[in-house]
Amino acid sequence: MDAITGDQLIKALALLAAGISMGFGAIGPGIGEGFVGGKACEAIGKRPDEANLITKTMIIGQAISETTGIYALVVALILIFVV
Amino acid sequence: MEIVKLLSVLGAGLAMGVGAIGSAIGEGMIAMKAVESLGRQPKASGKIVRIMIIGQAVTETASIFALVVSLLLLFQSGDQHFIKGFTFIAAGIAIGFGTVGSGLGAGLPGSAALEGMGKQPENSDVLTIQMIIGQAVTQTSTIFALTVSLILTLLTPVYSFLKIFAILGAGFAMGFGAVGPGIGDGLVARQANYAVGKDPRNMGLLTRTMIIGQAITETTDIYALVVALILIFVV
Repeated sequence: MDAITGDQLIKALALLAAGISMGFGAIGPGIGEGFVGGKACEAIGKRPDEANLITKTMIIGQAISETTGIYALVVALILIFVV
Repeated sequence: MEIVKLLSVLGAGLAMGVGAIGSAIGEGMIAMKAVESLGRQPKASGKIVRIMIIGQAVTETASIFALVVSLLLLFQSGDQHFIKGFTFIAAGIAIGFGTVGSGLGAGLPGSAALEGMGKQPENSDVLTIQMIIGQAVTQTSTIFALTVSLILTLLTPVYSFLKIFAILGAGFAMGFGAVGPGIGDGLVARQANYAVGKDPRNMGLLTRTMIIGQAITETTDIYALVVALILIFVV
């Protein structure tokens, strides 16, 4: 086996970091979006005639909760392909 | 080599040890609400126990996936290239941690359905259907984790120093990435089950909203799957 150079070590750890970044980065948005969706279902149960408004607000709220997940994805892709 | 056997056994332990956490807690939550409902409505005991068992059976799925992968890893021969050792431990991490979210998440709609049974036992059919739909969607994140961990178990990648870390990264991405969406899907399904238990007439509307909400919650899980597959196949 050849000796491992410093560049290879950096690249290898960047790949591991990409996995950790996406793995842990997905926990928060997942749970957060669950809270949004849950409360939306609760609200529709109380006021079924406002379902359209509630669904619209739910989707906007979940999209914003999603952003941190997208940051994690972007960081992971940068670590895989750029570093 | 001995190292392959060592890492595969370690992976098997991680898969089943961590993989048992979520389902066990989820089933406990379901049983807790079932007992509470039985205290309120002893006459509906047959229906309550039926829903409890169906709900617990679906919640168990996540752990059974972990058991399958754990057994696959236990019976691997040590006579393989040493990079296989790293794919085995990554497979264990992916399925072990990947089942925690779904197990916990599937417990939430089950407990809500049983709480509804304690209040209005006549809604049992509607609640069973709503609970099973919610729990089935919650299992998606475990199925992604199972896919990645089976790929990792069966695949023999070409050895390079980078590949070892890429494979470990894929295990971490899919394992931890499945935790959040699993719990989130469960939270959505729980509130939908509460609402159906209160007023079954809104069921169509609630199922629709629940599925939209769960689908959006699942997106982060899909990102994790994509990153894991890139790390396995592209790098």
